[in-house]
Amino acid sequence: MSLVPVILDVPADPAAMFIVRAVVGNISARIGFGAEDTDKLVLAVDEACTNVIRHAYANSADGRIAVTFSLGGDCFEIAIRDFGAGADPATFKGRDLDEIRPGGLGIHFIKSVFDKMEYDAPPGGGMLLRLVKHMPGEL
Amino acid sequence: MDIQVNERKPGVFVISLGGDLDMSSSPQVRNILLPIFDKSVSHMIVDLGDVPYIDSSGIATFVEALQLSRKGNIRFSLAGACRRVESIFDLACLKNIFEMAPDSNQLIEGEQGR
Repeated sequence: MSLVPVILDVPADPAAMFIVRAVVGNISARIGFGAEDTDKLVLAVDEACTNVIRHAYANSADGRIAVTFSLGGDCFEIAIRDFGAGADPATFKGRDLDEIRPGGLGIHFIKSVFDKMEYDAPPGGGMLLRLVKHMPGEL
Repeated sequence: MDIQVNERKPGVFVISLGGDLDMSSSPQVRNILLPIFDKSVSHMIVDLGDVPYIDSSGIATFVEALQLSRKGNIRFSLAGACRRVESIFDLACLKNIFEMAPDSNQLIEGEQGR
């Protein structure tokens, strides 16, 4: 199965994240992920977008987030592009899970769900986060 | 998000939530939930029966509530979480940190109240 890249462009507003969740859920289920994997993909992409809202746009809803979905070979790729302040990915750390405190779970969710996670600083500013998940049954 | 607070028995508060618990709704829940610890409360139950989705900001709200409950020696429970919500607590390795019950009524029936 292949999926011609689909681009979803949404405001960097927490109230718009239900749209991202709905699209991730629908595409993931349609291309062959089971219910459990689909739920995790929805969560991880939601967390990645809310990180953008918090860190790239400092909770201002003026910015945009472009989420690109593509499927090639055995990989489902989701690229999250922002046009915000940019940041050093080395500072994006999840918390120690033995520590019981609020916050720091988003990165843990993203890393747990996706097989590959990489940041890029594209021309024009902002950040590009590429998330790759192998299709079910593929290594 | 729909939020209802009921004192079902003296000192036993049930906070029923309805809708997605995410970055847009968590601050609202936090602002209602945390001040309840200042009341005369022995057991706080959050009913998640009508919550189809929770993200890390929702979980953070409950972690904060749990910490306050421990400080005040107050029982804090989550009830009625659907499979999807439960699996997110699991992914956060927090499922065993919270007291989780299938149903809020079950918890209330076992309560003597204050």
